[in-house]
Amino acid sequence: MISAIYNFALTTGANRVVRGARIEHVCGDPSLGPEKDHAYGMRIVTTALDAVATPVSRPTLFDPLAPGPALEPAHAS
Amino acid sequence: MSRPLRAVHYVNQFFAGIGGEDKADVGVSTRDGHVGPGRPLQQALGDEAEIVATIICGDNFMSEQPEAALAEIGAALSRFAPDVVLAGPAFGAGRYGLACEHVCRHARALGIAAVTAMHPDNPGATSGKREVVIVPTGESVTSMQPALERLARFAVRLGRGEELGPAELEGYLPQGRRRSYDRGRPGWERALDMLQAKLHGRSFTTEVPYNAPDQVRPAPPIADLTRATIAMVTTGGLVRKGNPEKQSAANAARYHRHSVASLESLTPEQWEAYHAGYFNHIVNKNPNYILPLSFLRELESSGRVGRVHEQIYALPGVSTPVAAARELGRAIAEDLKQAGVDGALLVAT
Amino acid sequence: MRLELGTFPVTEVAFGSRTRYERSRLEVDREAALAAVREDPRIVTVDLEIAGPGESVRIWPVRDVIEPRVKVEGPGICYPGICGRDITTVGEGRTHRLAGMGVVEVSSVNWHDSGGDFVETYLDMSGQFADMYPYGRLQNLCVVVEPDPALGDESRNDAVHRAALTVSDHVAAAVRHLTPPEREVFTLDPVPRDLPRVVYIWCVHSPQAMSGSPTAFCTATYGLTQLTPPWLLHPNEILDGALTGPYRTAFAMSWTVANNPVLLNLYRRHGKDWGFLGVIVLRTEWTTQTEKQLMGNQTAKLASMLGAQGAVVTWDAGGNEFIEVVRSIQACERLGIKTVFLTSEDDATDGAPTMLEPLPEADAIVSTGFFKNTTLGVPDAPAVKRVIGLPYKMVSGDRRTGSGRGRDQQVATMGPLPPPWRYDDHYGFGSLSCIE
Repeated sequence: MISAIYNFALTTGANRVVRGARIEHVCGDPSLGPEKDHAYGMRIVTTALDAVATPVSRPTLFDPLAPGPALEPAHAS
Repeated sequence: MSRPLRAVHYVNQFFAGIGGEDKADVGVSTRDGHVGPGRPLQQALGDEAEIVATIICGDNFMSEQPEAALAEIGAALSRFAPDVVLAGPAFGAGRYGLACEHVCRHARALGIAAVTAMHPDNPGATSGKREVVIVPTGESVTSMQPALERLARFAVRLGRGEELGPAELEGYLPQGRRRSYDRGRPGWERALDMLQAKLHGRSFTTEVPYNAPDQVRPAPPIADLTRATIAMVTTGGLVRKGNPEKQSAANAARYHRHSVASLESLTPEQWEAYHAGYFNHIVNKNPNYILPLSFLRELESSGRVGRVHEQIYALPGVSTPVAAARELGRAIAEDLKQAGVDGALLVAT
Repeated sequence: MRLELGTFPVTEVAFGSRTRYERSRLEVDREAALAAVREDPRIVTVDLEIAGPGESVRIWPVRDVIEPRVKVEGPGICYPGICGRDITTVGEGRTHRLAGMGVVEVSSVNWHDSGGDFVETYLDMSGQFADMYPYGRLQNLCVVVEPDPALGDESRNDAVHRAALTVSDHVAAAVRHLTPPEREVFTLDPVPRDLPRVVYIWCVHSPQAMSGSPTAFCTATYGLTQLTPPWLLHPNEILDGALTGPYRTAFAMSWTVANNPVLLNLYRRHGKDWGFLGVIVLRTEWTTQTEKQLMGNQTAKLASMLGAQGAVVTWDAGGNEFIEVVRSIQACERLGIKTVFLTSEDDATDGAPTMLEPLPEADAIVSTGFFKNTTLGVPDAPAVKRVIGLPYKMVSGDRRTGSGRGRDQQVATMGPLPPPWRYDDHYGFGSLSCIE
């Protein structure tokens, strides 16, 4: 599951949870401009594919933004 | 005064006096009358019920061979034909608690009233939905007497075919069957009174007991993504432009399935979002935000992923009652499994 | 801050030659009130109608119900900030209110044009449906108003709400110089050290996420509707209308906010049962986990810095807004602040949890019952003799999709009508609850 509100997915039993960008645009971020938006979306999707190829025993978060520098801009909603 | 009820008591190897952990493998056996704590239990039952037999089973045997154990127990129950089955009390003992819960559930399936008693944190009380009546007890055997009293009282009422009132009022563990109820005093007043009680360390009863969400056993990982078929599902309310299928904006009663076999990407000319729970305009400009077809196609071309499944699934995930969501999820999963899909990405908004 | 609240009970509202209040009767100079509204060139049509308790009357669409309040002494004006009103901090001095009445904002203007949020509330003045809400017992002065349709949605919202406030100001002015029959002094005097300290964490929906705009119309704090970190308000500011409705549910109106029994009774028991520290207003519907958790953390931290040992928490929405609310509760509990949560519940079919994210830290919950009118089994409201407002209402063929554009049928407002989608008694006015 890819979701921007990932914690509640974890507490309600989803076992492989990928952190999405924002409710209104889960797989990417238009405010980053086309190139970075695409790169971010791709990173989210590849993280999701890695997740389904990873054994887990309980709800686990896969964060496309960790480790390494954050792609997410620091804007308030 | 009606005749005493026929009761059967279920205990484990320890309370039957057979032995401790070393005897936990013993199978099912029966004795006439009461055994061990069955004696004070009979006293608690008084004239209202008679423990005609006791069924005993080792905790490990029940845990490792539940079908065999329950088959024998079921046969024994049919022989004894009781009005009610009492199991435990199990207090904090986990395997015993689970065993008691299984026995009671099996008895109910045979049409026999049943009740057990254990600590609320006992796995027998917390595993899955509570389908049987469970009387809460303390953690340890030191609270045996009050536990027996309460177990007996419920057993008599259930044995007589009485329907119990709400768990909160009667004192058994909540079974997740909530219904409308007028509490007679306004909510604001109950809230402030509850605050005062909590602040002063006085006991209070929450009106909404904690109901832990289901846990799901994780599917095993995909061994080789390069050969895998990946499907996409979204609860973001993705629809074809103009919503010709008339997907509702909320409270989904069904899911919608679309073919993307010929598509490299979801374009705003062909797709949009229709979902009453978030601002749809951004997705309307790029529907791949909620169903990442364009990305998966790239990964398919580059060989990172075997195949993109040609069907996508969409529904508006807002105001969906959990029961409906469970059913929709089950149906989609069944579909995907039938189609031989290896993995699915579910995008939620 | 010390506020003296003077109450003028209203038992009758009628049109007459002058706007005046005498012995619980409010007379309204209709033309003068309408002229005041028409000063705003954005208004195209406006009229006033009166609906009294017990009458066979239905009012639709109801955007807000406002209790007329006016500042008599002290800085600022009541209902500050919204619709361009003065933002001076309120809560000090003397305020007069007309109790037992409401100014009802009736207009076809929807909250915003981005979809998803629709005006759904209608009010009956008699019958079973009227009994469900406090408004059926009020003398309601209805402002039926339409703005220039060529204006943008934010302007249209601003115009019609301002029209309702204009009428509210107009009638409230009638009691500005009179001596109130009832008065109550509200002040947070110092309390003995041994009394526990409590805050009220009041979670209020922001339309920013759903509308895509930080200036969309909705419930406002000093006129601001956007997502902001938590506000700390003195309860007197609430009494002067610093927090206004409306949102989409019948219990989220300016009237219920100003008359919130949770607030009033927390306040009245100050010095007896606890020391009431104030109100933390948390705007909700942030749209990332990070933001939601941040708001939860900061809300709890604010409560802790104030010295809170306990907190009552309410909210006025549904859906993902729940997350920052429950995360605030969790954060408070982890800081040792004992919380009580007043909330409604979703469908309990099949033994499912009735809230979005059950967390064990939320261990003291008061339930105001199922929030969906379908779950509650509320029947259609019966036919009435008279309608104030629009003669037609859209209802969906399938009642269950009442929110959103699933509406495919236009029915006469006068006829039997299905209830709105949500009931949702946010502040626990009623005794309906759930049990298991």
